[in-house]
Amino acid sequence: MGVNASGLKVTYDEVVAVTDMNINIDKREITTIIGPNGSGKSTILKALTRLIKFQEGSVYIDGRELGQYKTRELSRRIAVLPQVHSAPEDFRVKELVSYGRMPYQKLLKGQSAEDRRIIDWAMHATGIYHLREKSIYEVSGGEGQRVWIATVLTQQPEILFLDEPTTYLDISYQYETMKLIKQLNRQTGIGVVMVLHDLSQALEISDRIVIIKDGRKYSEGTPDQVITRRMMMDVYNVRCDIVRLNGRTKPIIVYNELTEQDEEV
Amino acid sequence: MRKLKYKQSNTLLGSASLLKAGVVWAVLALLLVLLAIVSVAIGSAGYSLSQVVDALLGKDTGTVRTVLISLRLPRVVLAILIGACLAASGALLQAVMRNPLADPGSIGVSAGAGTAAITILLLYPHLALSVPLFAFLGAACACVIIYVAAWKGGVDPTRIILSGVAVNSVLGGYNSLLQLMNSDNLEGVLAFLNGSLSGCSWASVRTMVFYAVIGLFLSLLCIRNANALQLGDEMCTNLGIRSSMSRVSLSAVSAFLAASTVSVVGMISFAGLVVPHLSRMLVGSDYKVMLPTCILLGGVVLLLADTVGRCIVPGMEIPVGVVMSITGGPFFLLMLRKRGQFNGG
Repeated sequence: MGVNASGLKVTYDEVVAVTDMNINIDKREITTIIGPNGSGKSTILKALTRLIKFQEGSVYIDGRELGQYKTRELSRRIAVLPQVHSAPEDFRVKELVSYGRMPYQKLLKGQSAEDRRIIDWAMHATGIYHLREKSIYEVSGGEGQRVWIATVLTQQPEILFLDEPTTYLDISYQYETMKLIKQLNRQTGIGVVMVLHDLSQALEISDRIVIIKDGRKYSEGTPDQVITRRMMMDVYNVRCDIVRLNGRTKPIIVYNELTEQDEEV
Repeated sequence: MRKLKYKQSNTLLGSASLLKAGVVWAVLALLLVLLAIVSVAIGSAGYSLSQVVDALLGKDTGTVRTVLISLRLPRVVLAILIGACLAASGALLQAVMRNPLADPGSIGVSAGAGTAAITILLLYPHLALSVPLFAFLGAACACVIIYVAAWKGGVDPTRIILSGVAVNSVLGGYNSLLQLMNSDNLEGVLAFLNGSLSGCSWASVRTMVFYAVIGLFLSLLCIRNANALQLGDEMCTNLGIRSSMSRVSLSAVSAFLAASTVSVVGMISFAGLVVPHLSRMLVGSDYKVMLPTCILLGGVVLLLADTVGRCIVPGMEIPVGVVMSITGGPFFLLMLRKRGQFNGG
C-alpha cells in the first residue's frame, strides 16, 4: 500500500511537463524526487496530491483511485506542503497550525479537545511550542518552515508530501529541517515524499530516490544505486566522483574542480 | 505536571484573543447604539434632548414622536443594515481575490447592479417596482462575466481583478451613456447613482432586513472557506477545500449582499473597502472574528457618514454615497501611509 501512479501525463497549455510516469511509493519510507530545474519534479508531486489535474494515467492512494476520494477525505490521509504558501502576517503560530485541523472540523464548530491535543502534539513534535503566541512574521526562516510542517502534521496524514522544503533556507535551517523530517519518519512512521533540489541532502536522507529528466523517469532506487557518476553526467551534465569516506554510511558527491578544460565542455 | 501547566497557559491565552474580540464587539455595539440615538435626535427640525427622550419612551405621542419614528428611525436602521452588508460583501470579495483592494464597487459587481437598475428606471419606468430583482440579476451577471473572462482552467486572483476592472469600466461607460441620452429624466437616477438614504421608509427597511438576514447569515457560513483561501490555493486544496468552488460561492454571496444594497439605496463606494481594512487592524485577519467585526463596524461607519451628510451643511442633505466617497478616499490613503510607517519602523 502506498502511492502508485502509472502512465501519468501532465501538460500545461499543450506543453508536456511530465509524461509516461510510473511511480510506486511505499508509504513508510522517505522517497525523494530529484531532477534539474524544469524537469517536472514539482509537477509530479502536485499531480500525485490532486493539486493539479493530469491528462492521462492514474494515481492510486492506498489502492483507491485519486478521483474516488472526496477532497476532504483525502486531506485526512495525505498532506502536502506546497512550495508557495503564505498567510496573513498577523496570524499567530498556533492559529496557523490549527488550520491543519480543517479536514476534521464541522462547519461553524470550534476546536474539539482532540483538535487541541493534536495541535499541541504537532507543535511539540516540530519544536515550535515555545513560539506559539508569536506572529508568523516574528519567527525565523527555519522556524517558519517548521510552523508550516506542524500545520500539515495536524492533518494526521499517513503520507506527507513536501515540495522543496529546504529551498530559500540557510544551511543551518536546511540541516535542521532535514533532521526534523527524518525524525518524524522514524519516530511516528509517517511516510514522506518530497522534492529536493540539493543532491547531497537527497543522498543523506532518502530511502529511495526517483530521478526525473525532461518529464520522464530516468531511474529509481536506493541512493547508492541511483546517484552515480554516469547519472550525474546524463541528467545534470556535471562531472563528479562519488566518494566513500570512512565513518560515513552514505557516499558523498565530489564535483570536479573548475579548470579551463572543464569550462570548454 | 508539565503537561498540565501547558494546558492551563494554553486555554488562558486562547481565550485572551476571543476576549479581545469580545471587547471590540462590545465597544462597537455601544458606539452603534449611541450613534443611533444621536442620529435620531439631530436633524432639520431641532428638538431638544428631553423632547427626543420623551418621544422615544412614548411619553410624548405627538408630532415629535411621528417625525422620529416614521422619518428618522427607519433611516438610522437602514444605514446600519446597508453598512453591515457592504462591509461583509467587501470582506468576502477580498478573500476571493486574496487582495485587500477588492471592493464590490471596484470590480464591477455594484456597477452591474447599477446598470440593470438604471436601465429599468430610464427605459422601462413601469417596471420600477422590480428594480431590486433586476439589480441582483445585474450583479450576478456581472459576476458571471467576470468569471468567464477570468477562467482559464481555474480562477486566478489576478485575472479576476483584471477582468473585474474591465467589466467595471465597460458598465460605467454604459451607465454614463444612458444618462447622457436621457438627460431630461435624471432625478431618480442621480439619487440612485450617489447612494442616498433620503426619503426611505419602513417599507425599504423591511426589504433590506429581509436581504440582510439572508445575506449576512450566508456570509457567516463562508468563514471557513474564506480563511482557507487566505493560505493560497494549493494549501486550500490540501486542507480539503476546493478553491475554485469556494471562490464561486463566496462571490455569489458577496454579489447578493452588494446587489441588495444597490437595489434599496443605490451605489455607495468605499464602505466595502475601508471597513474590512479597519477591522483587520482591530482584530486581525481571521474571518471568525474579522467578519463579525466588519458587520458591526460597517453599521457604525455608514450611520456616521449619513448623519454627517444630514447635518454638515444646514438646510441641505449630502447623500451618504457622496460622503463616503469624499471622506473614504483620503481616509484610506492616510491608513496606507500610517501602516507603511509602522511597517518601516
